[in-house]
Amino acid sequence: MKLKTTSRSSIVLKLAFCASLFLVATVSSQADERGKQLYKNCIACHGAEAEGNKAFKAPALAALSEKYLVAQLTKYKEGHRGMDVRDVAGLQMAPMTQTLSGPEDIAAVAKYIASLESTPKEATLDGDPEKGKTAYATCAACHGADAAGNDLLNSPSLLHQYDWYTLAQLKNFKEGIRGTHPSDITGSQMRPMAMLLADEQAMKDIVAYIQTLSN
Amino acid sequence: MLEKLVPRGSTYAADIDLLFDVITYLVGFWFILVFGFFLYCLFRFRRKAGVKAQYITGETHKQKMAIEVPHYLILGCDVVILIMTFFVWHKVKIDMPTPDEEVRIVAQQWAWSFYHAGQDGILGTEDDIATVNELHIKAGTQYKFHLEATDVMHSFSVPIFRLKQDAIPGRIIYGHFNALDTVIGEWDIQCAEMCGYMHGGMGARLFVETPEQHAEWIAANTPDHLKTASIAATTTQESKEDAKNG
Repeated sequence: MKLKTTSRSSIVLKLAFCASLFLVATVSSQADERGKQLYKNCIACHGAEAEGNKAFKAPALAALSEKYLVAQLTKYKEGHRGMDVRDVAGLQMAPMTQTLSGPEDIAAVAKYIASLESTPKEATLDGDPEKGKTAYATCAACHGADAAGNDLLNSPSLLHQYDWYTLAQLKNFKEGIRGTHPSDITGSQMRPMAMLLADEQAMKDIVAYIQTLSN
Repeated sequence: MLEKLVPRGSTYAADIDLLFDVITYLVGFWFILVFGFFLYCLFRFRRKAGVKAQYITGETHKQKMAIEVPHYLILGCDVVILIMTFFVWHKVKIDMPTPDEEVRIVAQQWAWSFYHAGQDGILGTEDDIATVNELHIKAGTQYKFHLEATDVMHSFSVPIFRLKQDAIPGRIIYGHFNALDTVIGEWDIQCAEMCGYMHGGMGARLFVETPEQHAEWIAANTPDHLKTASIAATTTQESKEDAKNG
């Protein structure tokens, strides 16, 4: 009799477990679908595969982690990024976050973007990767020796990104266009790093080295 | 009529509203009259058994007058509207009152950048205050604005001012406004020209402030080193004027 009761409760437990799995899978699938749907607003500039588009100053997004995407979208939405009069591309991006109604939407679209496949991008700048390799040693502490980024340190992957975009962001950090808002903690960590780079050529060298890592 | 929906916030808002009212009442009068007559005719001369429809050529004097009299009356209304429009257009768009302050407005997809003159009151100097999607102005002050667009056409629209001015890439368009002190507070600025995907999200906020509030805002947004320089410059100028006046 006792054995039967145990068996019954075991079956009930198993059924409950299966039901919860099914529920989680359904909710997750709905979130994925929502993310895909929301991403349609981004396609015009970032492309269907999140490959980016230089004509719109839109970076590639596919190689970025879900956590980093959530953080940046939140910064744009809360006005911590893209609110400097000199940041033409940022000012264009900031209102786009109005299409995301809240944290759930941001999480859904970030999850979808992170699921897309990224591809290496061709070099367009005239940097010296050899010189850049030495200077990159400082960056490696957060972004990793392979430039794949580290979510634990909130540092994004730099791989499979356009060199013109990485250069533009280094300039933005150095000139205080990005990373100066009091609530942009991770941006303010990056800013002094960019200020270590003496001039544009030094930035191009680093970017050229990062490009070699992508390939 | 309009002020019940959106308050009048500028010195020329009442003129725009008056023009709007005149157009609405005149056009409304003719609209109701014509459609009333049309419906009356539809009912009065509806199909009846044994009555054959007439074909009217409009050649008799009576028939011609039935067309010409309302025609000239409507033309007379048009002339009234045209004369009023001329005066209002001149006041809002052609006249440029001597400004007390200037502000530079730059439109881009999909944001507004505003460059305020800062403590020295001169636009284009180091102490200019640049803001995104926030325009801070002093009530009762005559402003001249310099409107630019960096990419495509936009339109600077401030509903409480009854102001709408297109911004065209490659051109600097000048205009003016003077906010009434009855609208101290926060109001809408919007883009009124289709400018791309997020045109609908290209809104900004207008802060109409008292002179004291405005001075506080400027002081809070001026870096210390510029604040000192500005105060020093004012002090020097004042002492020079004092010396000149003996």
